[in-house]
Amino acid sequence: MSLAAEVVEPRSGERARRLSGTARALGIAGVALLGVVVLAALGASVLAQHPPERIVAAPFLRPSGQHWLGTDDIGRDLFAQLVHGARVSLSVGLGAAVLALGAGTAVALVAGYRGGWWDMVLMRLVDLTLTLPLLVLVLVLTAFLGRGLAVSTVLIASVLWARPARLLRSQVLKVRRFGHVVAAEAMGASALRVSLTHVLARLVPLLSSQLVRAATVAVVVQAGIAFLGLGDPDRVSWGTMLFFANASNAVLTEAWKWWVLPPGLALAALVLGLALAGYAVEEWAEPRLARNAPHRSRRRRRPVEEPRPQAAGTALEIRSLRVRFGGTRPVEAVGGVDLTVRRGRILGLAGESGSGKSTLALAVMGLVPEAGRITEGEIMFGGRDLRRIGRANQARVRGRELALVPQSAMNALNPVRTVLAQVEEAARLTCPPAEARRRAGDLLERVGIDPRRHEAFPHHFSGGMRQRVLIAMALANEPRLIIADEPVTGLDVVNQVVVMELLESLVGELDLDLVVISHELPLLARWADDLAIMYAGRVVERGPVERLVREPQHPYTRLLFSSFPDLEGPRGQVGTVPGEPPDPARLPAGCAFEPRCPCALPRCATERPELDGAEGTCSAACWLAGDVSVRTLFVDPAGVADGDPG
Amino acid sequence: MRPGRRRLRAIGQYVVVVAGAVVLNFALPRLAPGSPVDYLVPPQAGTISAEERVELLERYGLDEPLPQQFLTYVGGLVQGDLGVSVRDGRPVADVITERIGWSLLLVGGAVAASAALGTALGFVAAWRRGRAGDVAALIAVLVVDALPAFFVGLLLLLVFSVRLDLFPLYGALPAVGVGGLQLVVEVGRRLVLPLATLTLTGLASIFVVARSALLSELDEDYVFMARAKGLDERAVRGHAQRNALIPISTATFLGFSTLVGAATVVETVFSYPGLGTLAFQSVLSRDYPMLQAVFLVLALVAIAANLVNDLIYPRLDPRVRAS
Repeated sequence: MSLAAEVVEPRSGERARRLSGTARALGIAGVALLGVVVLAALGASVLAQHPPERIVAAPFLRPSGQHWLGTDDIGRDLFAQLVHGARVSLSVGLGAAVLALGAGTAVALVAGYRGGWWDMVLMRLVDLTLTLPLLVLVLVLTAFLGRGLAVSTVLIASVLWARPARLLRSQVLKVRRFGHVVAAEAMGASALRVSLTHVLARLVPLLSSQLVRAATVAVVVQAGIAFLGLGDPDRVSWGTMLFFANASNAVLTEAWKWWVLPPGLALAALVLGLALAGYAVEEWAEPRLARNAPHRSRRRRRPVEEPRPQAAGTALEIRSLRVRFGGTRPVEAVGGVDLTVRRGRILGLAGESGSGKSTLALAVMGLVPEAGRITEGEIMFGGRDLRRIGRANQARVRGRELALVPQSAMNALNPVRTVLAQVEEAARLTCPPAEARRRAGDLLERVGIDPRRHEAFPHHFSGGMRQRVLIAMALANEPRLIIADEPVTGLDVVNQVVVMELLESLVGELDLDLVVISHELPLLARWADDLAIMYAGRVVERGPVERLVREPQHPYTRLLFSSFPDLEGPRGQVGTVPGEPPDPARLPAGCAFEPRCPCALPRCATERPELDGAEGTCSAACWLAGDVSVRTLFVDPAGVADGDPG
Repeated sequence: MRPGRRRLRAIGQYVVVVAGAVVLNFALPRLAPGSPVDYLVPPQAGTISAEERVELLERYGLDEPLPQQFLTYVGGLVQGDLGVSVRDGRPVADVITERIGWSLLLVGGAVAASAALGTALGFVAAWRRGRAGDVAALIAVLVVDALPAFFVGLLLLLVFSVRLDLFPLYGALPAVGVGGLQLVVEVGRRLVLPLATLTLTGLASIFVVARSALLSELDEDYVFMARAKGLDERAVRGHAQRNALIPISTATFLGFSTLVGAATVVETVFSYPGLGTLAFQSVLSRDYPMLQAVFLVLALVAIAANLVNDLIYPRLDPRVRAS
């Protein structure tokens, strides 16, 4: 998953086949253009007063009431040729596209189903056809095999089938792996039957977009061939008109207005209509292509009031921070968070996915995605409020004073640059080039990467090794604070310990402060000094680790602890608390945990409890906090609440 | 797969494609309606007698069995013998050598120009995704792409040569001999319009690939990370664009084939003395051996472009580089 995706789209279901505004507008324009051409083709006999292929007047006539666009070099009516030309283009375009798609589908099904030699031979044929220059190939075929309209259509189709065949084949191979297709085959349905009913149905979107594309190419190729003098001599097309216009040097005279422009524009209208319609069809066929403009938040206004100075002995002080995401479903991902990182102590930030912990980290880094913005609060770091220093200065803080070790180390490195180059690039922000290179090498070595592998690319490294590279990158400019967002998620247990030990030793060695974000509470309980538990965008409990582990006050913290059983404990789903987290777009008025809370009181549904107490002491946002009766009221579904939660 | 085997496989694929083009070329006159002799007789010769026909069949070895004919044909190709033009009796190979330079200049220039322009436009559009600039660029490119190459050529000719008299009407070389720098200027002046036409033809496909390649790179984690590690916007763009270049490079080399085709009509419009105009003239004068040779050479050019792409790809993407 992308680093930012989780916070941008809290819950994205399957996107419906609905067109974006741009695609719809373009599609309508395309259909309108096509409509004009189709009308001209249908009404050609009515619209034109003369037959298009017969000599009806003197050559080279200027436009007149008799001949609206004048006559050509042998005295044929140009207007008649124009409207009848629509028929030629449309029939060749449609005919060739249908033939090509039919052949392409057949090839794709045979290659996809037979596999082996069939696949080999057919795909080499596809390669051959796709490699040869299309227009020249059709030109040669036409020269030898005939230039009649029907022959032309077949010849054009005979070079156009290859692209759809290749695309459809890979689709066939994909569809064949779908559950219901596998099931149908397992139940003994014949390959042909399965192809027709299950596979073809799935190919419809791709087929339709490829049909439009093939028609577009067919129209252009037919016009090109006709322009080169190989059009059907008995059926005047737009390409033929331009061939004669060019041969008669129409551009050198006034005649370009009625001889060159009309057929050229007609061709352009048809091709543009097909292309625009194709754009819409393609988006319909592949909804992932729909890219709405990101919701852009209004210019962020800096707070006017001077903030209270940062408390002594703190590395980072977050005060009542709120982050909102706009759009159709506004979401407050971070809803008033107060959080302090004390100098020399590791803060662990825990919570389920979607609880806002990653958004909080992004907000501190000044990297809230475009769709969101910080609406309130202060981020005190190094004696100033990061929200007030402006975007440019925020960027200067990143990497230099405040570094991030991101989630999903697998993709956080640029695949085409060596790891050394990427660490060096970071170090260059504060070091001269030669120094930066040496420093990058030292850092990579420090995190345990063999110098012989410094010039290797990210794909040569395992996930754990890439995570180390990212840690080296974070250290490149000797930052004061590192935020590690799920630094060991996805690593095996051994690597988890190694990476966490590395982080811990670096904190001691380099006098850094560290925030570790994780959904794994036991991990944090082991490595952190202070803990903060987030739920639905708020910190619901915080305090020194020993206190929190010994006597968690908030029912959510208790459930979270008990969801990670000891080795001897009963087995259950690890790391999950019964029930669903609330919909971030519609948070309850009272305590957000109330719907899932096993010991909720009536007032919990209406009144929201707040955190109280000074930093460094324990505090829980719960009406039952400090109440001894919590323990007796507590109903633990897993039945382990009375055991040692640590 | 081991690198050695992969290379062998790639070579095998090229052998198949080249063989396909050769076989097709051999088969065409023999599959076509009528006798292959019909395609060797200049049209102005009129109908030929039965004796003449037999004599021609013998002269060109067309009375031999097909496998023998094929071997003779391939043997000729290997020695650079592409037959004789029926229009003026010159060896086809000589005419092709005279012309191919102009075609390569035109197509090569257009491929480079459309790649540069299409990439730049596509990147600008992607950075403005969904905003007015993006939509405007998209629509402009769709419209330009919809205009047939020969129509664009005719319009440019009309405006810049006929009306504004900025560029010569046709040809590649000035009629009177000039030398040195003057020659370069004159050649350049005659290249501008055909080059512009062909560049516009190739622009759209590169634009579309560049735009969508960069858009998908922008969603990648490493771009986020580049920003998070404190790089300025310029450096962040550098990261994303470097990766987007990989599919763009492929699209550029594969687009060679399309532009080779489009060059036929564009050269015809500007009477540019390359292989495209030669194909057009061969069609008009029914010079079939010449047309076949043009096709074969252009096919080889397109295949070579594919080969170059295969060779360059591993340089751009270390993930497919043999370790």
